[in-house]
Amino acid sequence: MSEWLQSGTEAEALEWLHEAGCTDGLPVVIPTPDRVARLVVATGMPPDQSLGVMGPAGCTATIEKVATAAVMAGCLPDHMPVVVAAVQAVIQDEFDLTEMQGTTHCTAPLLIVNGPARAACGGISGGYGALGPGYRANASIGRALRLAMMNIGGARPGISDMALLGHPGKFTYCLAEDEENSPFEPLHVSLGFDPSDSVVTVLGAEAPHSVMYSGDADLEDNAERLLKVLSIGLTNLATNNAVLGGGAAVVALNPDHANILAQARLGRREVAGRLADLCRFTVGEMKTIHAGFAGKADPSTVRSCFADPSQILILVAGGGGLYSMVMPSWCAGSHRNQFVTQPIVMNEFCEIPVASS
Amino acid sequence: MRDGIAAAHRSIPAVALVTEDFWEQGDFVALSFSMPGIPRVRLPHPIAGTGKVAMTHVAEAYIRTIVDALKGPSNE
Repeated sequence: MSEWLQSGTEAEALEWLHEAGCTDGLPVVIPTPDRVARLVVATGMPPDQSLGVMGPAGCTATIEKVATAAVMAGCLPDHMPVVVAAVQAVIQDEFDLTEMQGTTHCTAPLLIVNGPARAACGGISGGYGALGPGYRANASIGRALRLAMMNIGGARPGISDMALLGHPGKFTYCLAEDEENSPFEPLHVSLGFDPSDSVVTVLGAEAPHSVMYSGDADLEDNAERLLKVLSIGLTNLATNNAVLGGGAAVVALNPDHANILAQARLGRREVAGRLADLCRFTVGEMKTIHAGFAGKADPSTVRSCFADPSQILILVAGGGGLYSMVMPSWCAGSHRNQFVTQPIVMNEFCEIPVASS
Repeated sequence: MRDGIAAAHRSIPAVALVTEDFWEQGDFVALSFSMPGIPRVRLPHPIAGTGKVAMTHVAEAYIRTIVDALKGPSNE
């Protein structure tokens, strides 16, 4: 169980938390016993239940500790199913959390929420500005995971989190897929889940990179041009995906761009396949910049940036217009920076006992 | 650090080579694995990308220290 600290006022407690390195630098909600208990109750699980161990500190992520991070982040009880699922996702071995927290690369867990939890868990936005400010659920859920990674996992900038610069998504990095405005089946359905399931998909990802494309329906190769420019953003020779290979990446299509592809009769699988085909470099091209990573193979040898098209996660999000986003990844760690999916369990969460003694 | 700790866990003699900028992270990792005494040698930073001549110079300057760390304090 947690130890409780005494403080005269919430202002004093806030300063203490800042000084102790327990915040992300922004003010937090003070995790009083009552506030933490309220979110623990919302999980429907006992406070000492372990979700697993978070590295690099190797501390156990109990429900109470996760709820503490969630209080600090400003979460509501409705947000807790996604927060719990996100923590469960990043502690899976395949996520390589310990290595990811310590790397010099700029990587942060991007949370992609699909299914009914998008509405039921506080209204997680997948529309205009979903990765920007203004959406409480997006901001609080992603921030709760970050504070858990700091205060349970022990990540401290320059001490145990060695990201050379980091990126703003390390404060919070959470959105929903805009399933209603997507011409494709939902991402989680593509990954084998039922449409009625709620799922969070997590990838350690770089900050979003904008990809501009002004579609023209009169062009026969409208979709192909879009795919080409997406591939340029996804795996240019500045990205780890191109240089190290083997990892995953995210393409967040705005609804207009998604429709360009759908009108060309391309589904999610076909889009990923074509992008994987386009994301290739010859050893000779790599040698012009990254001689050490290029190796000694013949310069004409072609290297794929992705081991498999399934490593390119495609979702539909944001407002319609010129800009989609790509998020390359780190591509290192024991499992090469794989994405993980975690079902969001909502039916085990109970009502808040407002009339209890 | 973690590679060195993993090797030590397998009873393989190991010494972690840690550059100056990552020394504090080494402290953190060693403590989190309850192995604060894991042998370490502090190298100048950076090493990566400094070129073969510079790296050879560092290797020659530190090889004795590394070997001594591998031998451990009981052999000193």
